[in-house]
Amino acid sequence: MTNSKVILSVKDLVVKFNLRGRVLTAIRETSLDLYEGESLAIVGESGAGKSVFTKTFMGLLDGNGWIDSGSIMYNGEDLAKYKTEDDWIKIRGKEFAMVFQEPMTSLNPLKTIGNQVEEAVVLHQGLKGEEAKKAVIEILNDVGIQEPERRYYQYPHEFSGGMRQRVVIAIAVACKPKVLICDEPTTAIDVTIQAQILKLLKNLQKKYNLTIIYITHDLGVVANIADRIAVMYAGDIIEIGTCEEVFYNAWHPYTWALLSSLPQLGVKGEPLYAIKGTPPNLFNEIKGDAFAPRNEKALKIDFVKRPPYFDVSPTHKAKTWLLDPRAPKVEPPESIKALRRQWKGEV
Amino acid sequence: MLKYTLKRLFQSLVTLFIVLTVVFLLMRLMPEEGYFGEGYEKLDVAQREAILTSMGLRDPLAIQLKNFYASLLKGDLGTSIIYRPKVPVAEILKTKIPYSIRFGLAAMIISLVLGISLGISMARSKNRFWDKLGTGYIVFINAVPAAVYYLFIQLYVTDIFNLKILYHPKIPSSWILPVASMSLGGIASYAMWIRRYMVDELNKDYVKLAKAKGLKNKSIMVKHVLRNAFVPMAQYLPSSLLYTISGSIYIESLYSIPGMGGLLVDAIQRQDNPLVQALVLIYSSIGIIGLFLGDILMVTLDPRITLEKKEGAR
Repeated sequence: MTNSKVILSVKDLVVKFNLRGRVLTAIRETSLDLYEGESLAIVGESGAGKSVFTKTFMGLLDGNGWIDSGSIMYNGEDLAKYKTEDDWIKIRGKEFAMVFQEPMTSLNPLKTIGNQVEEAVVLHQGLKGEEAKKAVIEILNDVGIQEPERRYYQYPHEFSGGMRQRVVIAIAVACKPKVLICDEPTTAIDVTIQAQILKLLKNLQKKYNLTIIYITHDLGVVANIADRIAVMYAGDIIEIGTCEEVFYNAWHPYTWALLSSLPQLGVKGEPLYAIKGTPPNLFNEIKGDAFAPRNEKALKIDFVKRPPYFDVSPTHKAKTWLLDPRAPKVEPPESIKALRRQWKGEV
Repeated sequence: MLKYTLKRLFQSLVTLFIVLTVVFLLMRLMPEEGYFGEGYEKLDVAQREAILTSMGLRDPLAIQLKNFYASLLKGDLGTSIIYRPKVPVAEILKTKIPYSIRFGLAAMIISLVLGISLGISMARSKNRFWDKLGTGYIVFINAVPAAVYYLFIQLYVTDIFNLKILYHPKIPSSWILPVASMSLGGIASYAMWIRRYMVDELNKDYVKLAKAKGLKNKSIMVKHVLRNAFVPMAQYLPSSLLYTISGSIYIESLYSIPGMGGLLVDAIQRQDNPLVQALVLIYSSIGIIGLFLGDILMVTLDPRITLEKKEGAR
C-alpha cells in the first residue's frame, strides 16, 4: 500500500458550521492520505463527521459550513482554497464523484434514466448524440441493469431501490472520476441487495481504476471491501490502518468499544455491549482525547492533552496516549484480546 | 396518452352538459320581468302570458331544454332583452370579447414572465435581498385589497406620468395602467408559488447528485429544478390564465374598458335573463376547459401520473 502514489492529501483540516449564530466545529484538525487505487473505509457513529469530511473534497458543504484552516492537496492544487463554482466544476465529476445514501430520492423523477446518465457522459466524456447513447447503454450494462436499451427510456419510478442505486452508481462512473466517494451506499437498501451492490462497486473499481472511499457505520460492509479503515470520532480520524490491523490489533479505546459492540463478538447469554454516554458536543471546545469522558479506563492525560498519532506499524497509527512508551499498561477488553490472539495465530 | 386525453375530454363534455342543464333550470326560477324589458308594468296578465308563450317559456320543461340545446348547437345564444333589446347575445359578446382578450393576454404574458422570473430569483437568493424584497411585494399585494391599489394607481400614477385616467381606443398609452394593474396580482401569485416549489426542490437529493455530477447551478436550475417546480402548479395554471383573459370586473369598470368583465354584473342587475344565461354558460365552460387543460398539462409534465391502469403496473 505504501508503495503506491498518494493522490489526495488532507492536512489539519478544520471545518466549521454556523448554526443559528453558534459555531460548531465538525472536523477538528484531521489529516488523511489517500493512495491511488485503494479502498478506504471511513467508519464512525452518526455525527462523527464522515460525510462532512468527504464533502469538502468536492465543495459540497452546505451553505452554512466552511473550511476554517488546513489544506486538501490534490494534483498539486489546494482544494481548501477553492471558492467559486468555476473552481469546483473542474473537480466535481471529473476527479471526484459521489454515490449518495438515498437512491429513492437521488434521481430526478421527471427525467428518463438514460437522460440522467447521459448528462454525465456528455459533460465529462465529451460525447454527443448516438455515441453518447451508446456509452450510456454500455455503462448501464456495466452496473448490472438488464435490457439497458429499454431501461434507457424509463423513469426512476419504474425502478426498484436497488436498481436506482445502480443507476446512481452508473451516473458516478459515467463521469470517469479518479476517486469515487460512496456515502453509505447500502444503508437504504434491502439487505439481500447490499452484497450485490458492494460486489458491483468492487468490479467497477477494477474496470475503471477507481480509488474508492466508503463511508459507513456498518463494520460488516467494511470487512468485505476495504483495504484500509479510518475510524472517525468527533470530527477526527483517531485510528487508521489496514483492514486486518484495525480489526485484529486495534489500539484506540474508541475502536475497542466500537468493535466490542459488534454482535458477532458478543458472548452468548450476555447482553450486547453498548458504548456508554454520548459523543461530545461539538459546539464546545474539546480538551484532550475526545473519547476520554466515555472511556472508563481513561488516563489523566487524556483529559488534558490531545494525543498525537503514534505509529503501530508503517501502515497503522492511532491517536491515543496508550501507545506512548511512558503510558501505564491498560488491558483491552476480553473480546479485543481474543481478536489479537486470533490474528497473531494467523500471522 | 391519447386514450387518456379522449377519456378526459369526454368527462369534460359530460360535466359541461350537467352544468349547462343546471344553469338552464336555475334560470327558469328567475323573475319573469327579465323577459319583458321596459313597459312590463303596462301589460296585463293575458298579454304577459301571450308573450311568454310566444317565447316558448310555457312549454313543458323537457321541450324547453331540448330547444335550448338545439339552438345552442347552432351557435345561437339567445337574444338580449334589456341590456341591448333585440340584439343577439352572440353579437354583444363579439364586440366585448376582443377587448378582454387583448387586455387579458397582455396582462397574462407580463405576469407569467415577470412572476416566474421574480420567483426564480427569489428562490436563488433565498433569505437575501431579492427574496426579502419580493416577499415584501407579495405580502403587500395579498394584504391590501386589490380595489385599493387599483384606485390608488388610477388616481395618482396617472397624475405622475401624465397618463389618461380612462381607456381610450385611439391612445395607446392608455393601455399601460390597466394592464399593469391587472398584472400585479398575477406576478405576486406566480412568484410566490414558483419560489415556494423551487425552494422545496432545491433541497432535494437529486439536486445534490446533479451538483456532484459537475453540473453548474444554472443548468441544475434550468434542466432539473424548474420543471419539477412546475408540476404542482400545472393543475391550476391553465384555469388561472383563462380567467385572466376573460376580463377583470374591477379594471374594466375603473378604466371604462368595454370588455366582458362588467357584463355579467350588469346583466344580473338589470335582469336580462338570456344574457345572464349565455354568460354563465361561457364562464363555466372556461372553468371546465381550464381543468381539462390542467390535467393534460400535468400528465405531460410528470411521467409518474398516468391516471389510467397500465398492463402489469404495480
